[in-house]
Amino acid sequence: MLSKGLDSARNSWLQQRFPQTNLITLGLRQIFVIPTMTSLALLAAVLLLSLMAINFKSALVYALCFWLISLIVISIFYTFKNLSSLTIKTIKSRPCFAGEKVVFELEVSCPKGQRKSAIFIGWKDEDTAEVDLHEMNTKRIKLSINTQQRGIFKPERVNVFTRFPIGLVVAWSYAQLDMHSVVYPKAKLIDNAEQSGGIGEQAEQGVEIANGSNDFSGIREYQAGDSPRHIHWKTYAKTGEVYTKSFVDYASHDIWLDWAALPLQDVEAKLSHLCARVLECTQEQQEFGLKLPNKTIQPALGEAHKHSCLTALALYGLSGYSL
Amino acid sequence: MIDFFNSGYPQNKQITYAGMLWLLAAQLVIMLPLSFYLPIWLIPILMISAGWRIRVMQGHISQPGKLAKTIISALGIGALMLSGITPVSLDMMASLLMLGFAYKALEMEQRRDGMVVILTGYMLIGVLFLYSQSILTALYGVFSMVILTATMIAIQHPKSTTILSSFKLSAVMLFLCLPFMLTLFVFAPRFSPLWHFSFSSNQAKTGISDSMTPGDIANLSQSDELAFRVTFKGERPAQRDLYWRGLVLNHFDGETWTQIAGDTDSDQIRTLLKTNKFAIEKRLTQVGKPIDYDIVFEQSAQPWLFTLTPVIKMKGEAILGNDYRVMAKKDVNEPILLEFSSYLQAQRDINLSFEQRISALQLPEIGNGKSQALANEIMARSSSNLDYVNRVLNRYRQEEFYYTLRPPILGDEAVDDFLLETKRGFCAHYASSFVFMMRAVGIPARVIVGYQGGEWNDKGNYLAVHQFDAHSWTEVWLKNKGWIRVDPTTMVAPDRIEKNLETAMSNEGSFLEKQFLSSVKYSWLDGIRKTVDSGQYAWRKFVLSYDKEAQSNFIKQVFGNTSTLTIALVVGIILVSIILLWFVALGLVRRKPKEAPVHRIYRRFCQNMAKHGLERKPSQPAVEFAQLASDTFPEMSSKIEAFTQQYTQMCYIPSGDAEEKTGLLALKKLLKEIRFPV
Repeated sequence: MLSKGLDSARNSWLQQRFPQTNLITLGLRQIFVIPTMTSLALLAAVLLLSLMAINFKSALVYALCFWLISLIVISIFYTFKNLSSLTIKTIKSRPCFAGEKVVFELEVSCPKGQRKSAIFIGWKDEDTAEVDLHEMNTKRIKLSINTQQRGIFKPERVNVFTRFPIGLVVAWSYAQLDMHSVVYPKAKLIDNAEQSGGIGEQAEQGVEIANGSNDFSGIREYQAGDSPRHIHWKTYAKTGEVYTKSFVDYASHDIWLDWAALPLQDVEAKLSHLCARVLECTQEQQEFGLKLPNKTIQPALGEAHKHSCLTALALYGLSGYSL
Repeated sequence: MIDFFNSGYPQNKQITYAGMLWLLAAQLVIMLPLSFYLPIWLIPILMISAGWRIRVMQGHISQPGKLAKTIISALGIGALMLSGITPVSLDMMASLLMLGFAYKALEMEQRRDGMVVILTGYMLIGVLFLYSQSILTALYGVFSMVILTATMIAIQHPKSTTILSSFKLSAVMLFLCLPFMLTLFVFAPRFSPLWHFSFSSNQAKTGISDSMTPGDIANLSQSDELAFRVTFKGERPAQRDLYWRGLVLNHFDGETWTQIAGDTDSDQIRTLLKTNKFAIEKRLTQVGKPIDYDIVFEQSAQPWLFTLTPVIKMKGEAILGNDYRVMAKKDVNEPILLEFSSYLQAQRDINLSFEQRISALQLPEIGNGKSQALANEIMARSSSNLDYVNRVLNRYRQEEFYYTLRPPILGDEAVDDFLLETKRGFCAHYASSFVFMMRAVGIPARVIVGYQGGEWNDKGNYLAVHQFDAHSWTEVWLKNKGWIRVDPTTMVAPDRIEKNLETAMSNEGSFLEKQFLSSVKYSWLDGIRKTVDSGQYAWRKFVLSYDKEAQSNFIKQVFGNTSTLTIALVVGIILVSIILLWFVALGLVRRKPKEAPVHRIYRRFCQNMAKHGLERKPSQPAVEFAQLASDTFPEMSSKIEAFTQQYTQMCYIPSGDAEEKTGLLALKKLLKEIRFPV
């Protein structure tokens, strides 16, 4: 209970200190510095050395102790410097399906003439990237993070930290960046879903494919090579000119992926199924439309269409998002 | 808040190949100088461990198993036990540390292991400083520091550093540390030793020992090692008066002179010498002016100190004994600095105590009968004790006595042999035989050992006394005169006292004859040698001797009688200033780009407008804003336009300094005219 309370207090404090932006430059206010276990070990060594200095009255050993203490102190500033005035900017994200990893692309940069080494950016227990800014003062990094469910995914604060140069202290900061990405529902076909409802085949109108052979569409002037079986004799009898019957095929009827037509009860299962269907149709180069209770997307084909359909599925039933 | 330190961060990852090479090189750098003082086979152990490690990393052989490691460490510890090092001693402690350090190369895999090696390395630099404190050692220590710190950088960030950049970064960091370190060195409180160590068992005793057999000092005179250095605060006494009195030898067994009968240790002597300052002052008659000087004694692993006699005042870790000698409170295992005040002409012990008389007359009951007879014969011819002293001294001059560093070997009746047969000897022979002759007729006398003379260093204005300046002479007690110094060597070799041993031995060519490489022998090197030595002296005096007492003296000198709190405050301010300097040096302080005066005035205008409800949007052109302002406040439109025109003109048309000044004045004036009715 207490720890939970503390946690939320800490979070709100951090929220204040690190307002959400799509660009953060780390400065005195954002960077925390504390000693690491290594520096504690070094302090223990200094303690032993100082015992040596005291008992042997050795001025040089005293000097060595003081030098090591100075080294700890100065490393605070070196490590701070390594993080100071670092800028992190969000570039874009690559959406994914629930349960997969979403990839965020960030741009890390520092002012000209500065060098940054061994800066770690990432999340605890997730992807962490090591960045060096030496010759180039701008670099792009990709961070991936696991997702659980569909919707809009907002990762936690990004940890930025470094122990450069000697690992005696760690300087760290939080980049509360405005990062978000759409997470599509998990694609999962449900075998018997469509037979009972038969959502796919309700083609009222199709696109005619000329020169078909099934349905009669009209007559036209005879051209050399037309099959004699298709000659429209009735016209010939009336006018004495040879006409040929033309036929069309209704090859591809528009596919409508309709939410309402699915007999499933579970919302997520429905979304998963529709998601799988979207992928299937795109794969087979079939035009399709999407009908959701709150949204209808006209039939089309292509990556952009797929994305908008998947996004609609991802955001279905989630309030506050409109894309 | 810090829970992510260990996860996500590649803390537990393996050391890279490059990092490993750094570590192994650093280990070698640390161990090399220590191998002069500790078993040399520790180096091959490191080599083997390092070689194994590299082969493992290259994938040729496998990591040693637990059993192999146990056997290897048992072998190493066993070898140390058998190497003859005292079990509880600095040597053993350092050797064990070195052994572990070398073996660690076998199992260095993770960054954590690397850090253990580096921290141990820092400690071993400290151990090296216990063995040697010379400038060269200190410089090597600095080099080791840079290497170790560079290794730390390299194993932490193998990817982001190259060899040169880690080295450079490490050097720069350590350099920037120096002011902070020096401030701490000068001001950080020092403590007295917490417990007493007797770790010096390994240290070879150097210099004058606590007994004298004729011939001993001749050996010492083959050494060009430094004994101590003296700085005179006022006048420097003449060379012939520079008798650095050390031990008083009272007991003679027919061959060897010792302080008292039987074996002694230094604590016993200290008890024996116990007296107090007032008792000594009572026994002295002060004559003439005091000689003020300080001495930095080199380490000798012995408690004997050497001063001009008698010492009246002194400062430092030493005691003043009842035979006027000065003795260190413990063995001199590190250079120590003491300050003295001596009255060379003072009279000592006009009244001789009974115990002193007894011990100054002791002789073995049998032996050296011929000398005894000679003494009786001369005494019979003498009118007084003083006359007797002079007659005995003159005998050395009149008969064919020679001063030589190659004396013939004497038989059992050493004094007889020397006085009557060989007549060839070094200072010890003369002092020994002279005291014998005195005691033989009941005149209190004693042998004194110490140093005589010294080499004046005009580069550093100090006197360097070397082991070859070792000397022995005598003190004789005469009625109404007390103890007087008598040096029979002057009778045969006046050059030894007036100049130095080298001159006295120039005919024989025996000065430092076994030290072919000694720079003291080559006078054309004197300039360089003296410069180097004066540097070393300054090092000793100002760095190595900077202890608790020197610190309190220094602080008193600088601050006077200021309270500790004030001093702490001042030191705190110094440290904070250094940190601020670091900020500047690291480029963490960046000045804000200064706003040009033109823009500052314009900003005032905008603020003024904003106060009255008209905000200028960022990046709104000045002319557009002026239009807006004129529309909003039509009564001031002309003034606003005039102001804006002047502003834009100044912004976009470059002008000289003088023009700009008048322009700014005009702009300010125009701004003032834009007044809102109150």
